[in-house]
This record gives sequence, structure tokens and C-alpha cells, in this order.
Amino acid sequence: MDLKQIKQIIDLMKRSELTEFAVEEEGFKLKIRRGANGVPIVSSGRGSNSPFPTLAEAGTSNGSASPVSTASPLTTNAPAAAPAEEAGITYIKSPMVGTFYRSPSPESKVFVENGSKVAENTVVCIIEAMKIMNEIQAETKGVVVEALVENGQPVEYGQRLFKLKQG
Amino acid sequence: MRISGFFVYMIQKILIANRGEIALRIVRACRELGIKTLAVYSEADVQSLHVQLADEAICIGGPKSSDSYLRSDRIISAAEIADVDAIHPGYGFLSENAKFAEQCESCNIKFIGPKSKSIKMMGDKSVAKDTVRKAGVPIVPGSDGPVESETEAVKVARKVGYPVIIKAVAGGGGRGMRIAHNDVSFAKEYHVARNEAEKAFGNGAVYIERYIERPRHIEFQILADSHGKVLHLGERDCSVQRRHQKLIEESPSPFLTPDLRKKMGKAAVRAAESAEYENAGTIEFLVDAKGNFFFIEMNTRIQVEHPVTEEVTGIDLIKQQIRVANGEKLDFDQGDIKFEKHAIECRINAEDPARNFAPSPGTIGLYYAPGGHGVRVDSHVYSGYTIPPYYDSMIGKLICYGSNRKTALERSYRALSEYLIRGIKTTIPLHKAIMSDPTFIEGKATTAYMEDFLGRTPTDLFS
Repeated sequence: MDLKQIKQIIDLMKRSELTEFAVEEEGFKLKIRRGANGVPIVSSGRGSNSPFPTLAEAGTSNGSASPVSTASPLTTNAPAAAPAEEAGITYIKSPMVGTFYRSPSPESKVFVENGSKVAENTVVCIIEAMKIMNEIQAETKGVVVEALVENGQPVEYGQRLFKLKQG
Repeated sequence: MRISGFFVYMIQKILIANRGEIALRIVRACRELGIKTLAVYSEADVQSLHVQLADEAICIGGPKSSDSYLRSDRIISAAEIADVDAIHPGYGFLSENAKFAEQCESCNIKFIGPKSKSIKMMGDKSVAKDTVRKAGVPIVPGSDGPVESETEAVKVARKVGYPVIIKAVAGGGGRGMRIAHNDVSFAKEYHVARNEAEKAFGNGAVYIERYIERPRHIEFQILADSHGKVLHLGERDCSVQRRHQKLIEESPSPFLTPDLRKKMGKAAVRAAESAEYENAGTIEFLVDAKGNFFFIEMNTRIQVEHPVTEEVTGIDLIKQQIRVANGEKLDFDQGDIKFEKHAIECRINAEDPARNFAPSPGTIGLYYAPGGHGVRVDSHVYSGYTIPPYYDSMIGKLICYGSNRKTALERSYRALSEYLIRGIKTTIPLHKAIMSDPTFIEGKATTAYMEDFLGRTPTDLFS
């Protein structure tokens, strides 16, 4: 979820009679409530402005870094800990650190869209690392369910890029 | 840009290209300086303390070092996407990799350490010895590189003076070495050494050095800025080693006289100057029973045992490293440095002394670190932490200090007695036993100490 989408949700709430909106994604929680004077109050699960907040921040809803505050301090906050795996679903993960691009160039079409069929050697995206554009292949057969990273966003090693339905 | 006093801070965010206790140490220094931190980590270090405490964190690979902490491409990539100003390489990993330092230089990221050319110069042992020798620093007498024939080898041995050690050019870590005490035994040892080297390393070339019997390993801490000032912060005696791995370090050395300390300090500074050194580094010497000292190598990085010097002098070495990298001048001179305490560091390893120091990774059940006056613990572990099996076994450092050596010894013993690490085996009992051992208490330990101690001490007294 990015700033543009959050703004769209706020607009939607302003224009409607909605008093509360909540959404939860992997590693991210957002709740918007209509405040006393009608202005929406936004509380999000991202404490810092950086694309890579520490693991302790990513899981807490108030964004403050308090790493060793509970009995089992760090076990629940790792973003790598996945929610229950759905049947037949797999993920394309980043093999490197860099910037994620969905198309070969700013003017071209995206490599894959929701619903695109992929084979093992289908190029699904580019990750730019140190000025080199690396083509990333699907390495599995399947159908793209959705892209999990925004175009132009930085990604880390092991980060989930696409959700695929296998087969 | 952040402005403090008259100085404009260029370094605002630092990437820590390391893990474990040193990564935590760097995070702490950055926090105190108001500098943002980016931790890069492997999948095995997700639960690591410094990863939680840093401002940002980026995963750079799988558990193996070769797939993460040694991947300079991923580290530089992370530095670029997170827009860092500098990289602190810690110790080990890429800290003495001249190519990595060069890559940082060409990507306009400040490498917190010396220039890449100093790393290159001091990284080659022959070049290093040659460079410091020209600056009037004593080196271990020996052949100029490998010897071509037995005749030449004998000539060198006689010139250098017995006893001599015959070392494999391709060897290391204590392997491929034979000692000869006279002409008669030399011929035999020379051929045995060559054969062993050929078998073990595929390269039979050997070189000759004077063998220094029962030396003390005494190193000097260097701090230099980028404006030409080179200082030494005193010595550390690191003679207590097992298989060339340091176990205990202390300062001041119980062996050095004030005169010898002065001589060696000056030599250390000359050695660093000959390498055009900047930032923190260490000059290593071997010292024989008569007080003759010989340069063996320079470590162009911050070292594990740096806290010993910090507690003796009161100077924060990591902060000084960052300041030097920031282009600042060192704001003190040699005469300003005071050596006010005696400090002893014990390296706590997750190893089982009863099983020949076999690594003991696993989950720590209960962790309770000692405290009180004169006790410092540098450790990244905590109750419930699982030690990954992919990296070295050091889990913490206990540094105890006081106004004299007796106090530091007693304090070390007291602190070790309070130190609880349940669920894994550690070397805490070993350190307690050494602190109670007369030879160590009398300050008589040389590099031969550990082998002697382990040989005469029943295992159940130190495990």
C-alpha cells in the first residue's frame, strides 16, 4: 500500500458516510477513523518513513521501536514469518538487493499482469542493482495472482515480489 | 545536513556491514552521535539484536557468509537504495578487503577505515615487512621471500641465527612449519617441511625466519586522522591464545617496562606512517624474553579487543573512527593520552572446553550478565536467543578494569562467577580457571601458556 492509495481511501471516506476503515496486509496494518471534527485519523503500522523499517517496527501498530519489551521479544515480528500458506500458492522471491521494475523501460508494458501465465523462464520483472538491470525469471509454472511490490520500490534479498497460483 | 558547533556533519547514515557484538557496538556509537543506522543481515540473523535496534534493516542473503556478509555487491546495492553516506565494515568479513574499500570509494560511499591502498600494502605480509623495515621498524629476521635451494636456505639460517622456523609460503594458521635448532637438524627439517608443504598445500616453497621462543604477542593500537596526525593508544598483551586464536587480552602488558613501551610505541607510529595510514589500526609485535621486539603484521581494521584500550584510556574508538571518516581532526595529541586503568578482556565463546572446544550453538535459556563497578559486557545475545551455527563462536566479551592489575584480576574472577549462560556450553569456566592460575596471575604468560595450562590442568577444572 502506498501514499497514493491511502489518499484515495481518505477521499473515499470524506465523500461517504464511512466512519471507520481498516485493512491488514503482510507486515502492514492501517486503520482510519473519522475524527470528532470530521477529519480522518490515520494510524498505520509503519513507524518510520523509510522503506525498510526495522523488524520490531514492522509488526507493532504504534511504530515505536521497542525490541526487547516482551517475554519472547523478537519471535513474532519477523516479516519473513508467513501467514498460513494457502494451497497451491507460491511466491517469487527476490534473489538480490535493488530496485524493482515491472517493465523493461518506463514506456513499455509490464512484463506480467494479474492473470498472466508464466513458465520457468518467463521474465517477470527487472531488479536494478548497481546500475545493472537484472531480468528475474519466474522459475516455476503458474499464473500470476498479484504483484506484491510497487514499481520503482527498493527490495531486499528474499522479499516476496509476486504471488503465483502454481500449475 | 546537521550542524553541531562549528562542524557540518557529512555522515548522516551508516550501513553496518557486519553482525553480532561488533554490529551492536557500532549501532550504539552511531546512536550517541545522532547518526542513522542501516543493518544488513542474513536470513539466519533475523532475530539479531542489532537488526532490531538499527533504524533500518535490509536482508542481503542466505545464512552462509559467502551468500550474505561477504557479498559486496549486495551490500553496496543496499547502501545505494537506502542512500547511506558511509559503511562501517567492523572486523573480519570485508573489513580488510581492499577491493571492497575501492568499490566504496568509487561509489562515493565513505569506507570507515583506511584508504584501500593502505589495506593492500599491509595485506601482503612481505610488502608490509619491507615497508616498515625501511621506516626503521625491527622485523623478524629471515629470508627475502621463498628460498630456492637447500644451500641458500642454510646460508639464511646461519645469517639469521638459530633457532629458525621453516614456513610454507602457501601455509597459514600454524600449519606447514618446522623448527630447527642447529645446522645438523636443519637439513632434515628443511626437507620434511618442503614435503609436508607440497602434500598439504600443493606448493613446496618455504621461507626461513628466526624462531622466537616463547614470545609475547604485544600489539599497539593506532589512531590516525586524514590530516597527518598518527597516535598510539598504548599496547595490548594478547599472549593467551589457543591455536592462534586470542582468548584473553590485557593492557598494560605486565611484561613491558616504561622504556620498552616508549620505544615500541614510537616504532608502531612509524610503521603506521609508512603505510600512510588513516583511521584505527593495530601494529602487532612479538617480544622475546630479553625485550627484543619484532614487527609481524598490521591489522588495518578495528579489532575485537578494542574495548581493552577504551577502558584504559577512556577514548571511544568507534566514535573516533566515525569522526576521522567524517574528515575531522583528532582533537588530542600523544601527550594528552592517559593510561589510567588496567583492563582485562575475556572472550566468551559458545564452545565446550570438555570436548576439545567443539562449537556449542543452540538456544540460550537463561542469560544473566554481570555488572557493577569496573565491569563491561559487550554482547549481542539475550535470553531466548538462538546462536546460528554459520558464524564464529564468540558470543560476547567481558571487560573488567580497575586502577591496578590485581583489582582487574579479582574483578574478572568475580564477574565471571556471576555470569550465567544456560542452555549452551561456554568458555566461562575456562576463564575462571585461568584467572586463578599462578602463572597468569604473576603475569608470566607467553604464547606458549595455553598449551601448557591445558596440558597440566584436569578438564573438569575448566568446563
